[in-house]
Order: sequence, then C-alpha cells, then structure tokens
Amino acid sequence: MAVEENSFLLTTVDALVNWSRANSLWPLAFGTSCCAIEMMMASTAARHDIARFGAEVVRPSPRQADLLIVAGTIVKRMASRLKRLYEQMPEPRYVMATGSCTIAGGPFYYNSYTTVRGIDEIIPVDVFVPGCPPRPEGLFYGLLVLQRMIKEGESVAQPGVRRKPVMAALPPAMTLKDIQKEIAALLVERSEVKTRGVSPNRIWEERA
Amino acid sequence: MIEVGSLKARMESTPGGLKTEEYFVNMGPQHPSTHGVLRLVLKMDGETVREVIPVLGYIHRSIEKIAEHLNGRQIVHLTDRMDYLSSAMNNWAVSLAVEEALQIELNPRIETIRTIVAELERIQSHLLWWGVLGIDLGAVTTFFYGFRDREMITDILEETTGARLTLNYIQPGGLMFDIHPHFVKRVKEVLAHLKIKICEYETLLSENVILQNRLRNVGILTSEKAISMGSTGPVLRGSGVALDLRKQKPYGVYGSVEFDVPVGSVGDSWDRYWVRVEEIRQSMRIIEQLIDNIPEGKFMVMKPAKKLTLPKKSYFGQVETARGILGVYIQGCEKEEPHRVHFRSPNFNNLWVITQIAPGGKMADLVATLSTLDLVIPDIDR
Amino acid sequence: MSEREATIFSLIQSCCSEVILNEGSGSFSIQVPSEKLVFVMEHLKKSESLAFVMLLDHLAVDWKEMGEFELVYQLYSFKLDQRIEVTTKIPRAIPNAHSVSRIWPIAEWQEREVYDLFGIYYINHPDLRRLFLEDDWKGFPLRKDYEDPFMLELVKE
Repeated sequence: MAVEENSFLLTTVDALVNWSRANSLWPLAFGTSCCAIEMMMASTAARHDIARFGAEVVRPSPRQADLLIVAGTIVKRMASRLKRLYEQMPEPRYVMATGSCTIAGGPFYYNSYTTVRGIDEIIPVDVFVPGCPPRPEGLFYGLLVLQRMIKEGESVAQPGVRRKPVMAALPPAMTLKDIQKEIAALLVERSEVKTRGVSPNRIWEERA
Repeated sequence: MIEVGSLKARMESTPGGLKTEEYFVNMGPQHPSTHGVLRLVLKMDGETVREVIPVLGYIHRSIEKIAEHLNGRQIVHLTDRMDYLSSAMNNWAVSLAVEEALQIELNPRIETIRTIVAELERIQSHLLWWGVLGIDLGAVTTFFYGFRDREMITDILEETTGARLTLNYIQPGGLMFDIHPHFVKRVKEVLAHLKIKICEYETLLSENVILQNRLRNVGILTSEKAISMGSTGPVLRGSGVALDLRKQKPYGVYGSVEFDVPVGSVGDSWDRYWVRVEEIRQSMRIIEQLIDNIPEGKFMVMKPAKKLTLPKKSYFGQVETARGILGVYIQGCEKEEPHRVHFRSPNFNNLWVITQIAPGGKMADLVATLSTLDLVIPDIDR
Repeated sequence: MSEREATIFSLIQSCCSEVILNEGSGSFSIQVPSEKLVFVMEHLKKSESLAFVMLLDHLAVDWKEMGEFELVYQLYSFKLDQRIEVTTKIPRAIPNAHSVSRIWPIAEWQEREVYDLFGIYYINHPDLRRLFLEDDWKGFPLRKDYEDPFMLELVKE
C-alpha cells in the first residue's frame, strides 16, 4: 500500500514514535576526564536527577544504549575506540558532545600532538553542550534540546534523516534560577506531543 | 597417621596432570571501575590474577608540550584539567615554582585563603572517592551521600571562584579573586554539617562487615615496596610511612596549624581507606583553626600585566595534593615561556603499585585495590 | 647552600670526586658524569648515612643548541628529610643512558615515559617500550625539533 507523504496516519505515528524515543533515551556514558565528574553529578548523584527526562538508565554497554554522551577530551589513541563504540550502538542513535574539548579541542587546541579537535571529526554529533566542564544544568539543557530535535526531526517516512548538529549553549546573562525555571517550563510544555490538533490521548479515546 | 588425599591431588596425579590454561582479559580503556580510561591487560588463571600490564595513553593530551608555549600564568589553567579533583592544589604547585623563580613574597591573607581552599578541595576529593568506593564494592547509598556533601563544598567554591571543578583560583602572585562575603559563614555551616555526617558514614560504611571483609588483608603494600615504587600520599601513609609535605616541608600556613598525619599499620586496602577518612577529619581541623582569623590584605601582590620572565634556572615546586606529592619542574630560559615543564604526578607512581600487589589475588579484589589507590587517569597521562 | 647540604655534598664527593654542584637549579642539585651515574646512584641509595631510598621523579630536558640532553632525577631521603636533584648530560647525537631500574623499580616506568617523549635509549632496561603513544608512532614529541603536520602552532603577533 502506497502511503502519501505527510498523510494523517504517518504524521501521527511519527509523533508517537518520536515522543516515546525522546522520553526514553538510554545513555552510554563515555567519560574520559573532568566532564565525567559533572556527568556523574548530573546523572546519578544526589542533587540532580536525570530520571525526570527519562534518561536515567546509564548503560555500560553500547548495545543497549541509544544516546552516546561523550564527556571529556578525545585523543588520537581513543578515537578508534570511540568510533567502534558508536558503530556498535543500534539505530536510532544520538550523540551528545559535552565540554569544549569534544567541541573543538578546548584548551588543548594549539601545540598538541594528540588531541582530536572536536569529535565531529570522528562521529556525527547531534548536540554540543559547551562548558569546561558544563554544569549539570547545562547537560540537562542539552538533553532537552536533543529531545526537542527528536520530537520534531526524524520521521518514519524518511528514517535516518537528521538535522544538522546544534549548539545547546545557554544564553548569556542567564542565572541559575532562569535555567531551572526554563527547564521546568520546558518539562511541562514538552511532556505532551503536539501534532496537528491531534493529541495521542485523543487517538486512544477515539479507538476505544 | 594416614594421609587423606584431595580431589585436586587426585586430579594432578593422573597422567599428564591437571592443566590450567592462562588467558588474557582486557579491562578498559572504557570501564566503569577503572575511574577513567585506564586499560589493564590481565593475565588470568581462572579467577586469579597472575600479571597486570597497565596500558596508558588514552588521555595523553600533551600538556607538557602545550605548556612550553605558554607563560607562567597560563600554565595554571592546564593543571586544573590534570587532577581535576584537586585542582586548587595543582594550581598551587605551579604558583610555588613561578613565585620561587620570580622571588615574589606573599602576604598572610593569600597564604591563609590558599590553605583553606586547598583543604576544602581535599575534603571534596576524599568524599567523592568515598562515594565511588562504595559503588565499586556494590553499596550505592554511599554514592548519594558522598556526592551530596561534596556538592555543598562545590557550591562554596563556585561562589568564590566561579567554577565548580576546574577552579583556576590560585595564581602566581596571589589569587584570582577575593573570597565571597559569605565564604566564612558557609564554610562554618558545612563543617558543622560534615562533623555529624562523618560519624554517620563511619557507622554506615566503615563498620560494615562486608566492607571490612572486602578490604582487610587485600592488596597488602609493605612500606619497603611503597617507598621503592615512589608512591606518595594516602597510599604511602596507609603503609605506615608518615610522609606528608604539609608537615615535612610546610608551605602556605601549614606550619602554624595543628593537625595529625594518620598512618596505617599493615598497608592493606583497609588502611588506605581509614587514612583517607581520617584525613577528612584532619582537614576540617585545619580549616577550623584558620577560618575565624583570615588576615586582612590584598589578594594579589603582583600587577596582572607584569611579564613573568623566568630566569635560566630550574625550579621544582611541590605540594601535597589529595593523592600525594605533585611536583612541577619548570626550566626557564630568560623568556616568558619556559624551556621545559614537567609534572611529577602522584598518580603516575601510585598506579604502578598495582603491578606489584594485585598478582596472586582475585579479580574482584583487584577492583577493590584499584579503588583504594584512588587514581585519576588524566593526571597520569597528562 | 645550607650547612646540611654542604655535608651531604662532601659525603657524595668522597665516593666520586667527579661530582660537581649544579648551579643552574633553584634547589640542591648535583651533576654527575653519565658513565658514573649508576655508581653514584647506587651509593646514594645504599650508603647508610645518605639513604636516598625514594626516586620521586625522572625527566629529561632537551638542550638543542648545546647538543645535549639533560637527565634529571629527584631523590628523597627519609633519614635526612632532604630532597636532592641529580643531573647528568648525554650527547644528543647518541642518546644512550644507563637504566637505574635495578636500584629503584619505579624507574622502569619513568624511563619508559622519557623514552617515549624524548627517545632516550636506556641500557639494561627490562622492558623498553613506548608508554603513552602507540608503538608505531614516528618521532619523539617533546624534542625541540619535533615536527608534526597534525600539530597547530599558535602564531603570536
């Protein structure tokens, strides 16, 4: 059966699939240096709780993960390992690069004979989170941006079509309270799927 | 007396004997319990470790080469990223070497604040180690407690320095900023909180039978071996050698405060554990003596625009970080950029201890031993 | 130089007269001819009055203009509570030095690091391999004449 592009059925299924994908990201923690401590702080430790975004199941194995969080400098010797881990992850897979080292080499840009200047030279990246190291709030902001991208991005009709990587930089002159407020607002706003006037709840109601 | 045989002896007496085959297991470079990107190639016989071959270089960022192109002030920010859990102490080591080269005299205010910040860092580093040790041995609760209290200290440091982890606070000639007006009040609050909590943690983890069994008589490092391997810090003190630069060669205001150097007796993992927990208490004692009387004065004695031209001489600045002695060797050559910078990192020497104490033990004990050595891999590789 | 350092220096000189004081260092430092290095080091560790039992650090400095490598050893003695710097110079054209890993086991790995970054070949080393870089890496990166197209130079104005 040929389906029309942008048909009602596909867009609704797309929205549902993307909504569930975005809210159940299982990260593979690839921490190499300082950013790993802040990632630990954000993901599993006392004050912050990444489970609010459905991403608390940190996997040590690439086969069960769909979000690769690269936290820390990647050097030439590690590059092949990173690529291999990425290739072992099942589709759909997303990559989040945290810290300035993974964005462009950070403080090790000049005169370094080993540091890779940005991991997008090795693997495709979806979200960059700046900071040296980024605060846990910055990591959450990056995660929310990624969730938004997933919800709006890929479709069943065109699988694998991805947007260009974005920089999830916190706007300047923003205080911690602003970030927390924005995260809270985003959580409320993004917890529901918005398709053209049809919410997933109504689909189920109609079917019943 | 009739000797009773065993199954093993019976099996060995069969023609050809009992053969066990040794094999290699690759642990790392991306492994949760190696605390970073350390790779260990293990020669195993069943569950028993026969040989440990550490493979390094997975985070070798060529800091020493980069430092040859920067001036004395700029090198400091690279050291933050080496041993990121004791970044203030790392900054201090470079500052000591540069100050010795330029013969800069500091005022008591700078020295006192440096000491307090370094001790706060030491506490948060040991708290993180404590939490992660629990998770390595299967106790998840400690992780939450350790990080909760560590976060309080990070908040204080953030107020003053603007950074949570990579402080970049101690600079040649003084400090980056003055302390925050709330600094003294909040440090006192945290100390009062920690004092109660440390006792609670002792009952929670230290008195736990499982932890005692996992750590006692595991990974014994004798004092002779520890000295010949050049290990320092809690690893050496756990083996019963009281080498602490804060006592031996006091820098900052360590000479005028009272504190004890805890030492172990056997040198097993438990001693290293106990030494670190005790060090948290001693650090609190040091801060308590200093926090009420921080002298008045400038926080920077040098003009920021001053050129740091290093004379053609070599300087060795050393401090006691949370993991041992960090030495910074700077060779100047009448220019702003040094001719050579070398970091004597405490973790480098502490790592190789594992090749001496792990063989003969079980695989699970290797994890416990690694955890009590408290390695930070970017500091080894630099 | 303090009084204690002067006595230590005279004790060292009594075993090997070719030892001289190193003026180019901010701390107590001696210079030893490279062929006498192992002999002096053994004396420093085994002599009861000195007992420098701990090798804190080992590094190399590249003096390209003078055509020399300077090897620096930092030793520590618990008995004297004293740190000493031992330096020796070897020609840049023939970068061979004697290994001290039989005296201090930790030297095995410290020398591997120096070999990796400077290309100094240690005689009698039990396991001379690269430490940080891959085995097939070309060149020795901390030498002053190291060139790598991968490395970016910051051009200062």
